Amino acid sequence: MPPKLLLAEDDPRLRQDLEQHFLRRGFSVQACENGTQALNAMHQAPFDLLLLDIMLPGIDGLSLLDELRRHQAVPVMLMSALGAEQDRISGFTRGADDYLPKPFSLAELDARVDALLRRVALDRRPPTPRNACTLTFDTANHDVAQHGQSAGLTGSEYRLLLTLQAHPGEALSKAFLYQSVLHRAYTRLDRGLDVHVCNLRRKLGAIGAGHLEIQAVRGQGYILVDASSS
Amino acid sequence: MRRHPLLWKLALLQVCFCLLLTWLIWTWGLSVERSTYFLAPADRVFLAGFAEQAEQAWHAEGADGVERLRRRLETEEDTWVAIIGPHLQSLGTTPLNADEASRLTFMRKLDWPMSRRLQDELPYVSIAFPEHPEDGRLVIQLPEHLLPTGLTPWTHVITHGVAPALLALLLGLALYRHLVVPLNRLRDRADALRADDLDSPGLPLQERRDELGELAQAFEHMAVRLRKSLDQQRLLLRTLSHELRTPLARLRIAHDSELPAELLRQRLDREVDDMQKLLENTLDLAWLDTERPQLATEPVLVLSVWEALVQDSCFESGWPVERLPCLLGLDCQVQAHLDSLAQALENLLRNAIRHSPATGRVSLDGWREGAFWHLCLRDQGPGVAEDELEQIFQPYRRLPGSGAGFGLGLAIARRAIELQGGRLWASNGHPGLCLHLLLPASESV
Repeated sequence: MPPKLLLAEDDPRLRQDLEQHFLRRGFSVQACENGTQALNAMHQAPFDLLLLDIMLPGIDGLSLLDELRRHQAVPVMLMSALGAEQDRISGFTRGADDYLPKPFSLAELDARVDALLRRVALDRRPPTPRNACTLTFDTANHDVAQHGQSAGLTGSEYRLLLTLQAHPGEALSKAFLYQSVLHRAYTRLDRGLDVHVCNLRRKLGAIGAGHLEIQAVRGQGYILVDASSS
Repeated sequence: MRRHPLLWKLALLQVCFCLLLTWLIWTWGLSVERSTYFLAPADRVFLAGFAEQAEQAWHAEGADGVERLRRRLETEEDTWVAIIGPHLQSLGTTPLNADEASRLTFMRKLDWPMSRRLQDELPYVSIAFPEHPEDGRLVIQLPEHLLPTGLTPWTHVITHGVAPALLALLLGLALYRHLVVPLNRLRDRADALRADDLDSPGLPLQERRDELGELAQAFEHMAVRLRKSLDQQRLLLRTLSHELRTPLARLRIAHDSELPAELLRQRLDREVDDMQKLLENTLDLAWLDTERPQLATEPVLVLSVWEALVQDSCFESGWPVERLPCLLGLDCQVQAHLDSLAQALENLLRNAIRHSPATGRVSLDGWREGAFWHLCLRDQGPGVAEDELEQIFQPYRRLPGSGAGFGLGLAIARRAIELQGGRLWASNGHPGLCLHLLLPASESV
C-alpha cells in the first residue's frame, strides 16, 4: 500500500517537480494549486501525509491546517518561504508536525518526510525499553540507573536515550529525533537536540555507562553504539 | 516621579508677573492719583497773593482795611474769607460766629491735597502772612474754579489699563521666547530631516534641563536611528547586489562553458549553498534589527552548548577536539535563549577557527562577575588593530585579509547576545583576538 500524499503548492513548476519526485518514490500523490482544492480533496479521501505551502491563494496553509485539525490527526508538513526563525518564534508552525523552510533540497525533503511517516508509525507502537547490558530503565520516573546509581535524566533526555536505544546501530536523523523526542519541527538554528545529547553523554559517563556512546553521524544524525559489546 | 522643571519655571514667571502688577498699581497708580489732587503752582501763587494783600492791609490800615479787603475778596471770588490773628480771632471788624469758628478746625495748607471728599464741602485753606506769619493768616474756602479736577478718565486708562497691558505683553514675549522659539528650531530640524538633510548638526536645545530639552534629546535620538537605518539600507543594497551578482555571474559562465554534467552539478550546488547562506544571514540580521523579538530565556549549560558546537566545527574544519578546549565547569549556567546563544557562539567559533594558524587553539574560558558570567573566547590568530575592534561588529564590514564570509557573523552574534540582555565586545589578547561575552547568570544554581 503506497503512502498517500496531498501536495498543496501554488508555484506550478515546483508543484510539478515535487509531484514527479514523489511519484518516482512510489507515493500516490494528489497535487492541488490552491487551498480550496486541497480542502475539497481532504474531505473526499483520507491521506497519510499533507505537504502544505503556507502562502496559498484562496485559503492559506495555516487556515487549512486549523480547519483540518478539527477533524483529522493526519501528519502535516508546512513549507514556507518566510524565515525559519521568524516563523517558529511567531508561532506560525503551531499545529504542524514539521516545517520545511524554502529553499530545501530533495534529500532534506525525503529525510523529513521519512522521519514524519516513521514517527507516526512509531506512535502506534511506542519503543519498549530493553534492559541492554547493565543499564536498568526506570519507566515510572523516566530515569536510568547502573549498579544502583541513577543518572538523574530529564524527560527529554530519557526519551532521547529510549529512542536511540530502540534502534541500535542505526543512525536516526535529526528531523526524526526532533519529531519523536522533542515533539517539534527541526529548524536550521535549533540546537536543543545537540545540547540534550551532550548532557546525556555527560550523565551516562558520570554513572560509569560511558561505553554507551552517542555518536554524531555527519549529515545523518545520531547513533547509539555500545562499545562494550563489540 | 517625573520632574517638571518647565512647570516650575512657568509658575515662577507668572507669580513674578502678578506681584509686579500688584505692586505697580499699588504704588505708582496711587501716587499718580494723589498727585492730581494738589493745587497747581500758579493757583498757589494766586492764593498766596491774597495773604500778602491781607498782611499789607493789616499793617497799613488795621481792622478797617482788613474788613474792606475781606468783603472785596468774598465778592470777587464768590466764597467765604476770614482774616484771623494768632489767637484765631477775626482781625476785621466783624467777629466770627460759632459756625465760622468751627470751620477753622478743618483748615488745610496750600500744599495739601484738595478734594470735596469730606461732606461734599469745598475745603478751607489757611495761608499765613508771608512777612510775619506770627501776626495772622488768611482763611479762604477754596473757590470752585480752583479745585483740582482729580484723576481724569484718560490717566485712569493709562495707569490701570495701558501699563498692565504693556507688562502682560512683555510676559507674553518672554513666554514665547522661552517656549515657542525652541519649538520653531525643532520644526526647522524636522524640515531638514524631511528634506533628507540627515547630517545637519545636533540641536543646542538638548543642553536644556527641562521638558523641551528632553524632547530635543528624543528627537535627536530618532534622527540618529533614522540616519543609521538609512546607512544600513544603502550598505545592504550595495552588498546584496554585489554578493548576489557574483555567484550568479559564476553560474552563468559555468552554464555557458562546456562543463561535464557532474562538475556542473557540483558548481551549482556550491553556488546555491552560498547564496542561501547569504540570504539567511541577511534576513536573520534584518529580522533581529527590525523586529527586536522577545527571546524566551532558559537556564543553559554553556559547556553543553560548546560541546555541541565543537562537534560540528570539528567536522567542518578537521580540527581535533583537543584544540577546542572549554575550561568552564558544570557550574557555568547562564540565563539565555539557547538557539540564539548557540548561533552567536557558533559564529564566534567559526570566525576564530578561520583566523587561526593551522595548528592553532581556540579556547573558551569564563568567570563569574556578580549576577553575570563573563565568557572569553580566545584564538591565536593575528588579532585586530585597536581602532578596528568595534568595526568588526558592523554588518558587511570585512577587514582586509579576512577571507571568506559576508561579514555578518559577528554582527548577528552581537544582536543575538544583546537581545538576551548580554554584551559582546572584542579585545586583543596578545596574541590573537579575545571575544568577551557577558551573560546573565542563571539563578537555578
